[in-house]
Amino acid sequence: MATPPVPELLRAHLNQLALEDQRLDGRARFEGRNVVVETGVLPRAEGSARVTMGDTIVLAGVKFQIMTPYPDRPTSGGFMTSAEVRPVSGVHWEAGPPSPEAIELGRVVDRGIRESGCIDMEDLCILPGEKAWQVILDVFAISDDGNLFDAFATAAMAALRTSIIPGERFDVGEDRPLPVSKTPMMCSYHRVGGRYVYDAVRREEIGGGERIHITLGDDNHVHSLQKGLKGAFTAAEFNEIMEHARTRCAELRDLINN
Amino acid sequence: MGGYGDVQMIDENGKRADGRTAEEIRPVEINAGIIPVADGSAEVIWGGNHVIAAVYGPMEAHPRKIQKQDRAVLDVRYNMAPFSTTDRIRPGFNRRSREISKVTAEAFDSVVMTELYPRSKIRIEIEVITAEAGTRCAGITAASVALADAGIPMTDLVISVASGKINGVVVCDLNKEEDNYGEADLPMGVCANSGDLVFLQMDGDLSPEEFQIAWDYNMGAIAPVHELMIDALKRSNGGAE
Repeated sequence: MATPPVPELLRAHLNQLALEDQRLDGRARFEGRNVVVETGVLPRAEGSARVTMGDTIVLAGVKFQIMTPYPDRPTSGGFMTSAEVRPVSGVHWEAGPPSPEAIELGRVVDRGIRESGCIDMEDLCILPGEKAWQVILDVFAISDDGNLFDAFATAAMAALRTSIIPGERFDVGEDRPLPVSKTPMMCSYHRVGGRYVYDAVRREEIGGGERIHITLGDDNHVHSLQKGLKGAFTAAEFNEIMEHARTRCAELRDLINN
Repeated sequence: MGGYGDVQMIDENGKRADGRTAEEIRPVEINAGIIPVADGSAEVIWGGNHVIAAVYGPMEAHPRKIQKQDRAVLDVRYNMAPFSTTDRIRPGFNRRSREISKVTAEAFDSVVMTELYPRSKIRIEIEVITAEAGTRCAGITAASVALADAGIPMTDLVISVASGKINGVVVCDLNKEEDNYGEADLPMGVCANSGDLVFLQMDGDLSPEEFQIAWDYNMGAIAPVHELMIDALKRSNGGAE
């Protein structure tokens, strides 16, 4: 990722703002940007969503393929997440094979969904040992103004919850909705100006420190955690953001389930 | 059923399956400035195609060995999103997208005033979100608008459109179903004002007469699309400039 010519100036500015408990765009520490979720936006996908958070815009598309179940789980289908952050989405994203950042994005989003158990893998079985559905989730960035993690995770759940298993096209029964029993949601926090803020914009990411991603399922069960970048945090700091995540994840869940 | 010869793609009144006449293009919608973080951007919704384009730069070209001492280099990427087609596309470049990227870059090299920005680079990113035949033309058209939206000096806007042949009849701007039975494809990139060509490909089989009709159909589609481009740019600038 590209760094600005004088990152120290940005860092100093963010530190100054933090002293006055301010942020670049006037938000409060734990205030998120407005989230807009639209579903059914990709006609070639079996489930899709577009999420807009300020100037961050992402798409999620769900496709289905028929796979041979793994020998140790002959009655299970599969789930795979692929995050594509193409250079279209920002000057700092470069062409070429997926960067470590893009791979981390895809894997953290994947874990939150997979570990929540919201997709019943047994339900994806078509013929034990021979045929099962593989759910492929592609998250795709259009415009990266920070916090792609939460944008991807939100779009992913909205797309999955509106997916139709294309039984007829593959000649294995009727089309039916993909059963998704829970709605795990992610909240991400960045250290900016010495303290943690929620839903950082790109400039806060550049001038900030480490970040923490929390995925909570229904009933606030924890399904994935990830700490990224250089930096250390205290237990008290973690408790504070976890408390906020519980409230915010519930709000986001309501937005998806409306 | 489903054989090659028994499909009626054009009825006795000269109307195509989707109601268009032979020379008619699909409905086109163009919007500029759709990617907030880009220096310039545009989307083209052309029939069932949805293509977005972003422009970044001019910026320092690195690594240094790609720099040109007397002009900017155009770094163009055309890519299809994994969910853009019925069968998922595995991410990553392939030979088709590399070729389209190359000829697209060469098309824009002919109109972008690269000599104004020595040793720099202008990135043009074309992403196909939904594909329904004719994505390279929609991509070039979208990139033209994105370049103008970024304020990159150009001698002309490029509009790209293709004509082809189904069951021996030449038609303009084939859709997906027609393309499945297509016998020829002639995509062209034409400068709106000068009428010069900066992009040209063709495959299939066209007689000299058919070739002329396809050529004329393409030329006839340039002006209406050009108007939509101008309108999109005016809207994104709030009617000013």
